[in-house]
Amino acid sequence: MQSKLSDIELIDQVLAGNQAAYADLVKRHQRFVFTLAMRFAKGREDAEEIAQDCFIKAYRSLGSFQRQSKFSTWLYSIVYTTAMTFLRKRRVDTDSIDDEDTYIQVENQSSAYDVNDAENKSRSFYLNQAIEQLLPDDATIITMFYKGEQSLEEIAQAMGMEANTIKVKLFRARQRLKEKLERNLKHEAKELI
Amino acid sequence: MNNIEEKLWNYIDGTCTADEQSAINKLIASDEAVRLKYKELLALNREFATMELDEPSMAFTYNVIEAIRTEQALVPLKAAINKRIVMGIALFFVITLTGFLVFAFTKMNFASMGTADILPKVPANFKMPEVSMHFSKPLVEGFMFFDVVLGLFLFDAYLRRKKQAHTD
Repeated sequence: MQSKLSDIELIDQVLAGNQAAYADLVKRHQRFVFTLAMRFAKGREDAEEIAQDCFIKAYRSLGSFQRQSKFSTWLYSIVYTTAMTFLRKRRVDTDSIDDEDTYIQVENQSSAYDVNDAENKSRSFYLNQAIEQLLPDDATIITMFYKGEQSLEEIAQAMGMEANTIKVKLFRARQRLKEKLERNLKHEAKELI
Repeated sequence: MNNIEEKLWNYIDGTCTADEQSAINKLIASDEAVRLKYKELLALNREFATMELDEPSMAFTYNVIEAIRTEQALVPLKAAINKRIVMGIALFFVITLTGFLVFAFTKMNFASMGTADILPKVPANFKMPEVSMHFSKPLVEGFMFFDVVLGLFLFDAYLRRKKQAHTD
């Protein structure tokens, strides 16, 4: 059963030597951390590796957490830097990260998967499919904003950018997501006809 | 249209100023196109909020905690030993040796000593124990070989640690 204690209370317990409290913290944040990792890795195994690495790094540095921000914001900053390091290690240079063609393969894979799974063809499915087709930064900002309960300032802090930059990026990410969502739905409608 | 769309998003997010908010309110009420756009963005906003989070494997938490435990268990012995104990042992030897030296110097009679008296007198019937018979050539060679292998092993471990630290 998951603890009802706040993140800060759990952190205090972990720092006092209670390792089980850290398991509660992991359980509480694992879905979101894993989802963010998926935005970069595009594969469950790699995403799990990144997410696991993040929680280990967070455990090591828990003593240095200043508590001036939310624990989740601090944790997401670790996720972002770890995921970026993962991308760099994979030798995907900045140009190819910015190149939307890199994600066409993922798009096609998803389409192929769709055909045999009619139940998944809900609006929500197409939304997640469209998010997968976004660039990692766009998908991360959208996810943090809508699911991470993070303000623009907190997202900026986690991603090491200015709040105004995040505001502009969020606006563009929403536009791209809307376009991709519409395109996927149109494509699906054509297939049905 | 981009400009108005940006303003509408700010209005939906609640990140615009009070003046901007009232201006957009008026615009939505008076302009049909803006009202339609606002409704469209509002619907999109609701839809974006329905995105689902991915679920890691069932053993994820267990794996994280196990990885932390393994990492803690792998802390080198050097770091695990309390430095106070090491310092205590070192202090014991320093005090003991200093004590012996001070004792030896205080017992010496420097004034009456000639060069011959400096060396302690060995009893006439004293015989040094025979140890050379225990150190045969193969034994010494085996010992040297073991030392070389041990040295190489430690050097390899050192290089691995250095490489790991560089990777981290």
